[in-house]
This record gives sequence, structure tokens and C-alpha cells, in this order.
Amino acid sequence: MTRIACFHVPMFPLAARLRSEPDLLQEAVAIVEGNGSNAHVVAATRRARVKGVRAGLSLAQARAILPKLIARVRDAECERTAQEALYDVAESFSPRVEDAGEGVVYVDVTGMDRHYRAADGSVDPELALARAAIRAAEAIGLPARLGIAASKLAARVAAELPKSPNIVEPGKEPEFLAPLPLTRLSPHLEAAGTLRRWGIASIGELATLPESEIASRLGEVGRDLHCAARGIDPRPLIPRPLPPDFREGMELEWPLVALEPFLFIANSALDRLAKRMEIQGFACKRLELTLDLEPDGYYTRAIDLPAPTRDVKTMLTLLRLDLEKTPPGAPVAGFTIVAHPDRPRRAQLSLFGPAALSPEKLATTIARLVSLLGDDRVGMAMAVDGHLPERYAIGDYAPPPPPDARRNPQKSRGLLAARVFRPPIPVEVMTREHDGEIAITAIEGEGDLAGSVRVSSGPWKVESSWWSDAPAAREYWDVELDRGGVYRLYQSEPAASWFVDARYD
Amino acid sequence: MATPALRLDWQFELLDLRPRRPAPTLVPPPPPVEPGESPALRALRSALEPSIAARVRSAAELLRNASHVVAPPLLPTTLEPLDGLLGGGLPRGRLVELAARRAAGRFSIVLAALASATSMGEAAALVDLGDHFDPQLAEANGIDLRRLLWIRPHTVKEAVMSAEMITATGFQLVVVDAGVHPLRGRRAPDAAWVRLARTAEAHETAMLVSSPYPLTGTASEAVIKGTVARTRWKTAAAAGSPRILAGLDLTLTLEKHRHRRPGARATLKLEVLP
Repeated sequence: MTRIACFHVPMFPLAARLRSEPDLLQEAVAIVEGNGSNAHVVAATRRARVKGVRAGLSLAQARAILPKLIARVRDAECERTAQEALYDVAESFSPRVEDAGEGVVYVDVTGMDRHYRAADGSVDPELALARAAIRAAEAIGLPARLGIAASKLAARVAAELPKSPNIVEPGKEPEFLAPLPLTRLSPHLEAAGTLRRWGIASIGELATLPESEIASRLGEVGRDLHCAARGIDPRPLIPRPLPPDFREGMELEWPLVALEPFLFIANSALDRLAKRMEIQGFACKRLELTLDLEPDGYYTRAIDLPAPTRDVKTMLTLLRLDLEKTPPGAPVAGFTIVAHPDRPRRAQLSLFGPAALSPEKLATTIARLVSLLGDDRVGMAMAVDGHLPERYAIGDYAPPPPPDARRNPQKSRGLLAARVFRPPIPVEVMTREHDGEIAITAIEGEGDLAGSVRVSSGPWKVESSWWSDAPAAREYWDVELDRGGVYRLYQSEPAASWFVDARYD
Repeated sequence: MATPALRLDWQFELLDLRPRRPAPTLVPPPPPVEPGESPALRALRSALEPSIAARVRSAAELLRNASHVVAPPLLPTTLEPLDGLLGGGLPRGRLVELAARRAAGRFSIVLAALASATSMGEAAALVDLGDHFDPQLAEANGIDLRRLLWIRPHTVKEAVMSAEMITATGFQLVVVDAGVHPLRGRRAPDAAWVRLARTAEAHETAMLVSSPYPLTGTASEAVIKGTVARTRWKTAAAAGSPRILAGLDLTLTLEKHRHRRPGARATLKLEVLP
């Protein structure tokens, strides 16, 4: 038999706002909708409700009751991201998830109870599943309730009850619904007045009436209502396809002009994104930031991460560096951060070979190094074809897996290395000609690069890219200074300037 | 920058602990350590709670424990003179410093160590402060570039931070090449090097610091000083042809080692790539 779990977040606009601003959890807060005198309370925290602030009051009335009431406008962006987060939690339990909006998500949990069966049978498996689901929702900042039943309707009604979780035994839906008031079936029931006049208060009383009589008096609505009262819900669960990306964002109460306050809010948004991606087993490969500017306009930035990561500190640092480099130029009134997911790198560990690097840890470290040093300062060095010694290229670092067994090191050839100077250091060079041979006698440069020359060797001609717009023709020399140090010099032909480009070391 | 360099050279002189020089004695030598449990230690242990008393060690017990400490595994550089000075190679989990002011083969030793580690299939990282690395030359030296992470920081502080991050990631060999004199940026405090050495110890990473003058202070397990003994030039075979640089002969001196007698010397011959 099909089993459907329903996540329900009560007072969803408030819960979504508190998820984005957790500092307000202990305050008297009301979420209001509408502008000016039409502004009315949609939901309020327990602290405000204790003082008498209720949904439906105008903001002026609520302020008259509680002058220190913190009012927040209903934020569509917060609610959308909270709904997506709830969807992600549901999806971590089952791939068949239906998004019903407004803090309600249905999940097909048929057969999942066996994963939560205790060895001694002390706990109902579905109850254990429901508790795990509630804990997962609370971990992302949403106080969800949960109901499990055979139909979407019964599951939703079970989830809306104050005591959570509620498990409705298979086939016991009519008995479960019978004692509940009719408003549980539909809070905004048009026929509620008519039924009340008939003396019907509970769902069970409606279910005992003949279906044809109800249908003849109330029409199609009455027939559907009667079916619902008997626990019959023919609507199937319609799963939503996987989202291509993860989004978080919010509209700000007032525009921000400084970077630090914005990064403070962005940090919590990235933290929420990281948690959502962790639930799905994803890591972020690319971040897209969209800023709503004041008075109008948008500002969009995209940051490619060097490797998929879920490290919030790294992502925040990259965001900070990017915004410092290219500030938006106007106050920020809202933002959306989109994380494009990718599967984190995985590796098989070896028992006998050298220890492999953890791909996820490596990705995070490289991303942090890039944020610290810059784009082209970290990576894999690559040899480049050519003749000029200073050539190099840098690519993404993705080491091959280590060998299965330990290898002996390759015997060193004991080669003398050259320490390349980037860029080459300009120097003045004194030469002497004797019997048609040119010898360098002294060089004049900064620091150690000055002094008379003991031995000079050259020239060695290098000509490169003569066919291109940037040809290079150089004469290389090796010189040993009297004070110590063997250097490689070259003279570039068109300008006849001298440079030291390496030291043998 | 000249003043600290001069002072440091002078410090090198102080560190020269060869036996022909009398070692300065500032305090009288301590009394010989009793082999068994002394009465004072026994009294102290009886007065303490058993859990705390079990952690109290006398100097004699510490010495006995130290003699049983297993030597750390080694990462050979395959340069025999250097490995001989270090007892077989770079100790894993320890920091070894290689200090040489002028062209004294530092970078060649760095490349040899990287080539050795990568040829064994281990992950290595080069923190290249002076941006001196040449991939073509490295490949000719036998470095597997796919296993080498090349990091190019701007300052000493960034270099130390990068090295610490990389070490904590689990790289088996991390080499910090501080470049040439003068160093880029201000010197890192001693505490930074101690922290780096502890990170290396925690992750069993062999760490090699190559610098123009000693930087790591007390954090290093061993310090090796390099000096150029001779530059070799090939004489021209035919008249009119220039001489060719053939190689360098270096003298390596073990300036400091926590478990070996300092002062040992070895000669390393480096050849120019044919």
C-alpha cells in the first residue's frame, strides 16, 4: 500500500523569515502583508501571540497591543528558498517528492520503514522515519510537522495537527478523520455555513450521510467533500524533477552600502546553501550572485570555483574578493545566490600504496588558496613547447591516483637547476673584445647582481617566433661573478638591453 | 636589509659546534640522573591522584622513553651526500631547513626531493615564494608534474599560511622555497614556523624549507648549510669555442640535528643538463 508523508511548516511566511534572520527567533516579530493602512499581520512569533497579536490584525492594531513589535514585510524570496530547502530535505528521504507550496511537501515513503526498523522492534519504524525527517528539517532551520498516511489528504491533515508526528495506520483513515472538525478538511470551506446549519460539526458526521444526498444538495463540491471525509483521495503524488541549481536570497529591509554587512547576510545564505547541497550529496562548482540595486537595476557576478566545494568560508572569501575587485556601484536592496551543483570528487583509497589525498579536502584547500593568492597562483605546472626558458603554463591540479603498491624512488640525476627570475632583471654589462672574442667583464645591477666577472661563457643564440608579430632573438651568456654566483644573462637583439633571467642554484 | 644578514652570518658562527672549539659553559652540569624512581618522585606520586600521578615523569624516565622512540620514516632525496647527513632522507613529520646564501645548490636539492617523492607516486607541493620554478627543467629532473602542486605566494606570511593549509590536506612532501635574498615581505614570527612544524608532525608530512638564511629557529629538526666549493667549467675542445658550464661542487654541513651530532660535512656534485 502506498504511504505518503507530508511535511508541513506552520506559519510558513514567519518560519521562512526566521530561517533567514535567526537572530529574531526570541523576539516579538510579526510578518505583515500589504502597504500603509492596508498592512495586516499574517503570522507572529509566540512572544507576540502571548501578548495578543493575531493573524488578521492590522499593523496599527498590533502595534497598539505591543509597541515594541518588530514588523517584517512578507518576503517572497525568503519563502521561495525556504520551500526549496524543505523540498531538499524531503528529497534526501525519497526521490519521489511533490512540491505543494506554502511550506507543504509530499514524499512517497512506501517501503522506507524497513530502513528504520529497530533490531528489538521497540520503536515503530514509521515513527522513527518521521522523527528523523523532522530532525532533518530542523537542521536547516524549518520547524516542520509531519504526518504519514495512505493518501495525500490524510497525510496533510495528520501533519497539520499540533502534536507531531502523526502516523495513520493503513486503512484507518476514516476513523482518524472522524473526530476532527470539518475545517481540517479545508480551512476556507464555502459550504461550511450550510453544513453548520445542518448540525454537522465533525468530519465523521459528514461521512455517515449518504453521498448521493450530499451531492444533490451541494453539487460536485459536496461529492468531493464527502469522499474526503471518508478518507478517499484519488489525487496521485506528482513528483517534481530535480532542480538544476540551488538558490538562496532575500530582500533587505533597507539598502546596504557597505560590504561587511552584506557579507554577514551572505554568509548565512551560503551556509544554508551548503547544508542543502550536503543533503543531496552535491558540492558547488559555480556561484552566481545577483544583486538588486537601489533605486533600480541588477548586478550579476559569476564565480567559477577551482574545484567543487561546500566550504562556506572559501565561498565567502571568493565572493568578498570579487565584490572588492568590482563593486556594484549602488546600494544593494536584495540578493540571490545561485549555486550550480557538481558531484564532489571521489577516490578509492589504497591499502598498500601511498595515502591518497581526500578529493573534497583538496578541492576546498585549493579554493582557499586561490582566494588567498589569486587565480593563476595555484595549480599544476605544465611544460610548454618552445625555446624561451621563461615559458610556463598552469592548469587545474587533479593528481592521478597513487600506485597500488609503494614504489622505490627514481635515482636522482644530480642535475644543476636554474632558478628563473620572473620577470628578468635588467642589468648593465661591461664587455671586452680580445682577439675577436667578446668576453663579459662586469655586470651592474641591484643587490647581488653586481661585480666583476670571473668567467663568462657565450654567446648562445636563441631565435624564436620569427614568423609571428612578437619575434624573439637573444644571445645567452653564463657568467660567474668574483663574489660568487653563476648567472644566466641574455641580450635581446632589437633593443640591445641586457637581462639576468636565471641563477644556477 | 644588510644589517640582519650580517648578524645572522655571525649567528652561523655561533652555531658551529665542531669539537675543536670549546663549548661555552653557562651553568654547571646537572647531577647524574638516578636510574630508578627517586624518593622525591615516589612521595610526589603518592600524594597525587592516581590519574594525575600516572602522567608525572622524572627526567630519567623521560630519557629512557626517548631512547625507545622509533625513528620517523624517511623520504629519500636520492642525493646520497644529503641523505647521508640526514640519516637516510627527509624525516616524515619533521621540518628540515636548508640554508645557503648564494647559489649553493638549494634549488637543485629542492627539485631532487620533489622528483623523488613524485616518482614514488606521492603528492608533493612546492610553495615557490620567489616564483623561480621552471616546469621544463623540472620535467627534465624527473618530477612528475601531475603530482606536484605549484603555489606562488607573494610574501613570506602567505607562504607559511599556504604551506600549513597544504600540509593539513595530507600532502606527503611540502617544500617551501623562500627564494633569494632579500625575501619578499616581512619575516614570519618563530611561532608560525613552530605551528607549521607541528602541523607537519600531525600529518606525517616531510617538510623542507629552503631559504637564503635560517628562518625556522627552534622549529626545525635539522638545519643544513650549503656553500659552493667550486664551479666547474668545461674547457673548449676547439680553439675559438667558448667554455661551457659543467657543474657545481657543493659542501653541505649539518649545522643542527636533534638526534645526530652536528658538524658533519659532505660534498655534493651537481651536473649541468647535457
